[in-house]
Amino acid sequence: MLVKYYRAKHIFPKKETGENVCVCVCVCVCVCVCVCVCVCVCVCVCVCVCVCVCVCERFTVNCIEAVKTVTLCRFLSSALLYQSTLLSRPLAVPHKYQEQSHLLTARIHASQALNAGPGSKAASLHWTAERALSILLLAMGPVAYCSPGPVIDYSLAAALTLHGHWGLGQVLTDYVHGEAKIKAANAGLFLLSTVTFAGLCYFNYNDVGICKAVALLWSK
Amino acid sequence: MALLLRTFVRQGVCLARPQCGVLYRHAAPMGTTAKEEMNKFWAKNTKLNRPMSPHVTIYKWSVPMVMSITHRGTGVGLSGAISAFALAAMVLPGGFPGYLDLIHSLSVGPFLIGLAKFGISFPVSYHTLNGIRHLYWDIGKGFKIPEVYRSGYTVIVLSVIASVALASL
Repeated sequence: MLVKYYRAKHIFPKKETGENVCVCVCVCVCVCVCVCVCVCVCVCVCVCVCVCVCVCERFTVNCIEAVKTVTLCRFLSSALLYQSTLLSRPLAVPHKYQEQSHLLTARIHASQALNAGPGSKAASLHWTAERALSILLLAMGPVAYCSPGPVIDYSLAAALTLHGHWGLGQVLTDYVHGEAKIKAANAGLFLLSTVTFAGLCYFNYNDVGICKAVALLWSK
Repeated sequence: MALLLRTFVRQGVCLARPQCGVLYRHAAPMGTTAKEEMNKFWAKNTKLNRPMSPHVTIYKWSVPMVMSITHRGTGVGLSGAISAFALAAMVLPGGFPGYLDLIHSLSVGPFLIGLAKFGISFPVSYHTLNGIRHLYWDIGKGFKIPEVYRSGYTVIVLSVIASVALASL
């Protein structure tokens, strides 16, 4: 059916593959940075994990939505087209336009349900993830105070960086306008967050660690 | 494709019999996304060189407004501080205790040290407490104006107390 093929094309818009390339480049760059500052493998793994978390939420959303929308599309379009052809039968001339418009309406209904699918679901999941991370970060505070150690140090590094990255991302979305400027700003933010995470992990590995550092700083 | 659909719908509406009006009432073709609409808005207005209508310069400042921008300001500031710290950790030689001893040797005096500690702890506590207030809004509660003001004043008072407490630790 025509509707199915149209929808299938829309599920993976081009910009996602572009972002994917951008992310891969950033991962390679940050791996090189880590190697240059002589950090061990576990840090590179940490960085890659962090990057993948940000990216995968978009990909998992797209994959889930792709599967859902393709199946939903078949049901919707077949149901609506069936209904509309039944409705159009008793109507008088011009038959051709009536059927065409009914078919188009069915397509529009289908497309409305489907256009509402992938894009908005990704934004909604991102919103939920932001709040979940905020709550997680809140919980990490007392844990870091009561039982400091390397596990909480690295978790804090990851959570702080990601929370900051997403927060600054919202600030950029609010104040930066224009396709090219938005892309440049987001690329710069990604770089900053990668460097921040690498630096924090480096500090955790080669120096006293975040919890100990706060304790030392506060003791003076 | 979206444009095509829209033109067809318009034509369909002109030619449709009253009976099919029911179907068209609910047919709102989603031709563009919200992002596209936003980009169109900005593109059109920058192209026409329109000046932006005054907003922060003319609106009356209110407690929720100030608290919101402070939340953003503290967030950006803290994020910047963390990034600067991470960058310094990678770039500067020596370890963290060394730099602490350096600051110690400056013998700044307890008042200034206390002030510095307050300067660090206030953004953290304010951002954290206002963040909790935001999460409270996110579950859908506390939107009535008196509630907004009440929770706002609570956050301000609690964050001052918390930061003073933390600074004196």
